[in-house]
Amino acid sequence: MGGQACVLYGAAEFSRDTDIVLMTGAENLRRLSSALDALDARRIAVPPLSPEYLQKGHAIHFRCHQPDAKGMRVDVMSVMRGVAPFEELWPRRTTVELGPDTSCEVISLPDLVQAKKTQRDKDWPMIRRLVEANYAQHAASPTSQHVAFWLREARTVGLLLNVAEAFPELVPAVEALRPLLCFARVGQEARLAEALEQEEKREREIDRVYWAPLRQELEELRRR
Amino acid sequence: MNKAFEDDCDEWADWYQMEPIERWNESQKLWVFYIQAGGSLDPEPDSQSPFDFIYAPRPASVDGRPGLRLVRRSGI
Repeated sequence: MGGQACVLYGAAEFSRDTDIVLMTGAENLRRLSSALDALDARRIAVPPLSPEYLQKGHAIHFRCHQPDAKGMRVDVMSVMRGVAPFEELWPRRTTVELGPDTSCEVISLPDLVQAKKTQRDKDWPMIRRLVEANYAQHAASPTSQHVAFWLREARTVGLLLNVAEAFPELVPAVEALRPLLCFARVGQEARLAEALEQEEKREREIDRVYWAPLRQELEELRRR
Repeated sequence: MNKAFEDDCDEWADWYQMEPIERWNESQKLWVFYIQAGGSLDPEPDSQSPFDFIYAPRPASVDGRPGLRLVRRSGI
């Protein structure tokens, strides 16, 4: 669900780790532990691997020591801010065939975009690219779901104006969820740019607030 | 009609139009080169990441001694 997912959907990220989203549960944790053992993966930071920390929204960090994967890092999460629970993520995932006998299950594009709405600068251009890539791939014959996704998540004035102009009948329904679309609907570029900036700022602040107690807990675990 | 992509360039357009597996393979080539060139797999410093600090070395104890913890103290 991290950098590799971004590449598969059309953004470009050079990620040095592999992020995995996992449904917590005894059997799943056992299978994860077994996979991590096969990679000779050892935990490199707090917190420890446990359902409790995963459910709270922490990430568990590992580094692999098995020769074929030496040095590679794996981060495991179960709960992400603003993202639906795993039970909802799983049925809408994308399965990507990477070779004759290799496939991987990738978080859906809308869910990935949601997961990228963090306090970090680097995630916002990524969202932009993910939405633009989807637009480039489907603009010739979009479904109403594609259009609604672009209206909900596009991060640039140009793309929003373009979509709102091409599909005015679909704007009102999404505008209820994203009020800044009122500026796209009437072509107010400057107001739209300002509203997009405010929207990002709000979301980043929400993420900072969300992480504050988790960060505190990590600091305490680290001091022990 | 407005221009959809604000800083449109051919490189991005080509990247967007690739099949997922093609992008994956291109990304893998970069990865192989990065590893062969001795690139680090350590986390990039990112002061905005909520868990950036967990990779940092732990601060030294105030007395400069190794992190011994007192678990029992005699009455003296």
